[in-house]
Amino acid sequence: MEQIIQIINQISEINQKLIQENVLPKFERILNRLFSIFEEEGYICTMPLGEKYNDARTDCTANVVGKEGKNMIITQVIKPIIYKKANGTITLLQKGIVMVENI
Amino acid sequence: MTPVNFGIDLGTTNSLIAKYENGNLVIFKNPIGHKETLASVVAFRNDRILVGDKAREYLLKDAVNVFGSFKRRMGTDERFYVVNIDENITPIELSAYVLKELKQFVHTGEKPQAAVITIPASFDTMQSNATKQAGKQAGFQEVFLLQEPIAASLAYFNNKQESDDHNGHWLVYDLGGGTFDIALVKIADGEMKVIDHEGNNFLGGVDFDLMILEQLVVPEIVAQTGIQDFEEQLTTAYGKYEKLYYQLLYKAEELKKELSGQAYAELDFAATIEGKEYDFLITITQEQFNQVIAKRVQETITMLQAVLDRNHLTTADIKQLVLVGGSTFIPYVQEQLTAYSGITINKNIDPTTAVAVGAAYYAANKYYESSANASDEGVVNVDELLEDLEQEVNLEMKASELEIILSYSKMSKEQEEVLLLKVNGDYLNYRYRITRKDGGYDTGFIKLRSKFTEFLPLLPGVNNEFSLRIFDEEHNEMKSLMQEISIVQGQYNISGQPLPRDICIEVDDKENNTTKLELVFEKNSVLPLKKTLYREISKTISKGSEEKIIINILEGDRYARPLSNLTIGCIEISGKDLKSDLVKGSDIELQLLMSDDRELSTEVFLVMTQQEFKNVFSIAAKQVSLIRLKEQFEDLEVEIRRTIKSFNYEDNDVWAMQANQLLEDLLDHKKDLYKLKDNDKSDKKYVIAEAVHRTAQAYDKIGGNERLEYLHAEYLSAKEYVELQLPMADYEKDKMVTKFQQILNGESQLLRTRNPSILLKTIERLNQLAWDILYNTNSYLMVRYEQIKSSDASYFKNYGAAQSLFKMADKALENEKFFEFRQHVYNLTHFLKQEQGIQRSTDFKGTGIG
Repeated sequence: MEQIIQIINQISEINQKLIQENVLPKFERILNRLFSIFEEEGYICTMPLGEKYNDARTDCTANVVGKEGKNMIITQVIKPIIYKKANGTITLLQKGIVMVENI
Repeated sequence: MTPVNFGIDLGTTNSLIAKYENGNLVIFKNPIGHKETLASVVAFRNDRILVGDKAREYLLKDAVNVFGSFKRRMGTDERFYVVNIDENITPIELSAYVLKELKQFVHTGEKPQAAVITIPASFDTMQSNATKQAGKQAGFQEVFLLQEPIAASLAYFNNKQESDDHNGHWLVYDLGGGTFDIALVKIADGEMKVIDHEGNNFLGGVDFDLMILEQLVVPEIVAQTGIQDFEEQLTTAYGKYEKLYYQLLYKAEELKKELSGQAYAELDFAATIEGKEYDFLITITQEQFNQVIAKRVQETITMLQAVLDRNHLTTADIKQLVLVGGSTFIPYVQEQLTAYSGITINKNIDPTTAVAVGAAYYAANKYYESSANASDEGVVNVDELLEDLEQEVNLEMKASELEIILSYSKMSKEQEEVLLLKVNGDYLNYRYRITRKDGGYDTGFIKLRSKFTEFLPLLPGVNNEFSLRIFDEEHNEMKSLMQEISIVQGQYNISGQPLPRDICIEVDDKENNTTKLELVFEKNSVLPLKKTLYREISKTISKGSEEKIIINILEGDRYARPLSNLTIGCIEISGKDLKSDLVKGSDIELQLLMSDDRELSTEVFLVMTQQEFKNVFSIAAKQVSLIRLKEQFEDLEVEIRRTIKSFNYEDNDVWAMQANQLLEDLLDHKKDLYKLKDNDKSDKKYVIAEAVHRTAQAYDKIGGNERLEYLHAEYLSAKEYVELQLPMADYEKDKMVTKFQQILNGESQLLRTRNPSILLKTIERLNQLAWDILYNTNSYLMVRYEQIKSSDASYFKNYGAAQSLFKMADKALENEKFFEFRQHVYNLTHFLKQEQGIQRSTDFKGTGIG
């Protein structure tokens, strides 16, 4: 299981890199396919970029950048959130590592 | 007397709880995030109290309300002023919060009433008493203290062979995330004692991360950017590179872990510095890392030496060196210790959990007088029992005075659902806490109000289960007020209409030379729906040819045959549409989207030719592929004929008559169907499709459940026969076991199908497998051979050739060359005259999607 998480993390990093380089559209299909394979195996990976953040979100480990405010948003994802779905139940496997800022 | 069993490592940075009972050791995990460790940090946020990792996130940003490392202040009269609650709080109270949170880790339903809590060797009486007090405040009836080095030694002790001689001096080297301690332990005749210790409260893994950043990463950034004061800019609080600082600090920690297992590691990141974009790839070797931390590691060895000197010992006097703390995983630390002390380090115990494990071992042999139980002498401690009972009764009394009314939608299509809470009764000083069972959401402890709302975040497409729990002012849970909240996301909602039937796609079933249905959208899922399927092309289609891939999207029952369902979308991609040949095995991506008003859109992407085909279908317009229709017609005809034959064989006249009638109805359309051309503009193909569809449905219903049950029984008996015969096979056993497993893999779906054809075909496959097994079993081959040999010449196509094979088979048998004998029997079967059954065309075209 640990190795699958490592693979998902690496693929997420490739995904991030491709976004940075503005070449994601060329590889998007392949990446979507990879994430779909993981999902079939029960591993659900989410990139919470742009999502609202508050301190009740235990699915992420946040680094608060700048001063705290009322409208905290996830502005960078270093590691994705990974859940495992098995026998109808879902469990958090990996907390996302994120940067949050008041926007 | 009751054994304590629970051991707690109440650490400066992290805490753990473990239990040892009847030889079983359990280190409990946090239900939130499933980690074994809990950060020893408490945060008093605006309206909530957070304990653990989430609290730690705010340690730097909200220092006036968030407290960590309070263990160092235990036993002092220091109080922390909490701005948000305008109150002073003691280190004892903060420790009690951590201990209460650790109690929540115990998932076994037990309520720990006593515990062994570990303390540093340096703790004086005041500090020790303060820890005991924290334990009592956390609700432990009895608290026993144990020094951390002793706990670690015990963990190690229990891991060693019984025969080992433990007596002598041991060193416990504890290098954690933020602190370092070295303790000298003396063991004599089973008695352990810490005789000296030394430590540094600001030396640990976090310092190493910072050193990687400052000494290895920053110089590289300076070299590439030319900005000399970059380090100052990077570390300025609320500075412009704050985000990069956190990112690099995290990456430095990851790199440190990687360097524990490999010779070098890379730090890869992009950053915009002074308006210019940079891509950094910094390679750091283990040697570089070692050089950076060398001085700090040497400090630990100096302290170790000081302890030995003070006690007039040398390293030769040290029997064991026990490692504790995550930073002792660093190979350089271990190497230096070995080089200095000459002691081989034993790595059998996990240094991160050793203290808690040792505390649990100790707890298993420590007894206390539980108020719930009678003592050894059979005397009940009435005072304690009454006190305990009183507390329970009080809690229940308090609980009965409160009424919590919840209001929420049990099904939602939104990403979060609002929960309305109304509280009746005297709610002041009570707190609530809502957690989601998967571990991704925890409100912390929030003060109850008369009426309020919480927005519960929902994970998509699953049943989100939450627990609402109520606590009194001392954070004791009032169990009778606990409520479970279940919200299903993505199903049934007033605003979204549910899908009335399954939506499936028709794919090839090459094993059975037919097609089958694969579920895309399940009945009752809420519209709109979207899904991408990834499949392989199951036949090669040459560019320019008439061959086609047919994508049939059907509505109906996923367990029925494709023909019994309604085709709501059909896409045909022929060789003429292709830019290049499409090779068997290449990938096809199908994206299906069904809108709120049930309009179906598809996007087909052929990966090999990089072509995309988009279609939109209205549910009102029927879709028919002529090629598929012809093949389905043929398939159905063959099947009905076979069924009639088997009904006749079983003397099942009623069913045979019904099937005969259906066959006649079907054949009425055969001529018209084969006359139809691809470009036919009339509605004939729809008429025939409708007739075939109706016949298929009627055929599936012949015999109803009775027939299905009969086929289930036949399937189970065929399966049982294969199970029985398979172990006796002498050849190709592995191949046949795999084949059998493949058939069994589809069993759950098979037993739910309403399609007799699928059952019949699976039974046929099982029967075929049974024959394969027999023909690979020596005992059967011998019996069969005797049967063939004794058959009359008229049973053979070429009796002369068969006779020469008899001679060869006899010789092989005589010499016990069974494998050769098997081949001769195989060959002989080809000389036998056999009845010709009804053969379906083997030129199966299918959909082209596997």
